[in-house]
Amino acid sequence: MQTVKMVISGAVNAGKTEFIKAISEIEVVSTERRATDDTKMIKKETTVAMDFGRIAIADDLVLHLFGTPGQKRFDFMWEILSEGMLGLVILVDSTRPETFRETNRIIDFFVSYRDTSYVIAANKQDRPNAWSPDELRLALRQPPHVKVLPCVASDRDSVKNILLELLYVIQERSEE
Amino acid sequence: MALVGNIRDFGLSDFLYLVDRGYKTGGLHLSHEQETALLFFDKGKLIMAARKPEDQQADLLVRLGLLSGDQLDQVRQNLTAQGNGLTLTQVIVDAQIASREQIQNVLQGFTEESVYGLFGWPEGEFRFEQNQRPAPDAPVVPIPISVDHLIMEGVRRIDEWGRIKDRIPSTDMIVRFLDQPDERAKGVKLAPEEWRIFARINGKDTLAEIARKTSLSEFDVCRIVYGFLTAGLVEVRKKPSVAVGRSAADAPRVKKSLVNRIINRIKGM
Repeated sequence: MQTVKMVISGAVNAGKTEFIKAISEIEVVSTERRATDDTKMIKKETTVAMDFGRIAIADDLVLHLFGTPGQKRFDFMWEILSEGMLGLVILVDSTRPETFRETNRIIDFFVSYRDTSYVIAANKQDRPNAWSPDELRLALRQPPHVKVLPCVASDRDSVKNILLELLYVIQERSEE
Repeated sequence: MALVGNIRDFGLSDFLYLVDRGYKTGGLHLSHEQETALLFFDKGKLIMAARKPEDQQADLLVRLGLLSGDQLDQVRQNLTAQGNGLTLTQVIVDAQIASREQIQNVLQGFTEESVYGLFGWPEGEFRFEQNQRPAPDAPVVPIPISVDHLIMEGVRRIDEWGRIKDRIPSTDMIVRFLDQPDERAKGVKLAPEEWRIFARINGKDTLAEIARKTSLSEFDVCRIVYGFLTAGLVEVRKKPSVAVGRSAADAPRVKKSLVNRIINRIKGM
């Protein structure tokens, strides 16, 4: 059985757990705990370890989805999660510009040292004060070739679209 | 739809960059404690800045010594009589009260100084109302002002490491030019010290190395590079580490057939 891994990352409350829940075929394994630091201002419970979801591609192939913890004190897990990943989805809460700097830090961590295929999912586009993907591209200073896509992480079709767009990026860079 | 936030989290220079590169038109409303400000942009360029409500009125031209009270009354009458589509500048020029250049000089100086003062705000709510425009008789600069220049000058007035370190966490980072820096730099007036650093950027030297070669302090180099960075002229990157880094050539390659299988499965879900 071959397994491949995709990583879903983003700042606290970007929607990572919801994103994986929307597409995983198994009950998502989350390690949620009552937030004990600044994050409790944002949500009562947050992912302090990671989320894990799974999609069976065929009898001999499985796709694993790992959601990274958003809190800074768990940064050490990013390195472990990113080993051998096929691609990366960076989720951004489009309604909270105060998280854009943290999002940039996350992109920098995953992309600076590795040749990582990634897309940026502009989450919560169903909210009235959401920044558009074009505005987010400028706010995050992403070059034109990086896909910044509209997303609603609670919507399965929207999540499917993000994964497919990431797969097209990976496909372009894959070998025959 | 309005873009809202706080300049503590998304700085004024970052917002100006977004307005410039996004060719935005609209009004940026800022508030900090008892102070407010309103900036208007047209296709990414600044056309008006007001730190007080009265700065949004044509009376500003009297206070700035460009018109007398009587001349302003005459201009207002002409503006009303001649109808829509005419600008305050055009009416003043047509009445031969002042030249376009005189109006530009006076209003540009006032507008720029109004914006520079905002860079000192440590925090403040902002709201950008897309497509909001100033009133027809508002004191708008005849030639819109490039935002690149404003960012560079505003950043020159920043003297805190804290803000700089958000973008430049270490002096071990290397600096490299983005696309066509020389073209973009034409809109930016660089001071001699800034040129010294600009000329040293080669995509290999770290900020610490640039400081050593120019005999400037690391703080000054970081502050100046922060300006280039904010204006979108350069980028800073971590220096590749042999132990940790992995080049694009070393990255694991996946088979197209495997990716195609995953795509087909996801499509079918």
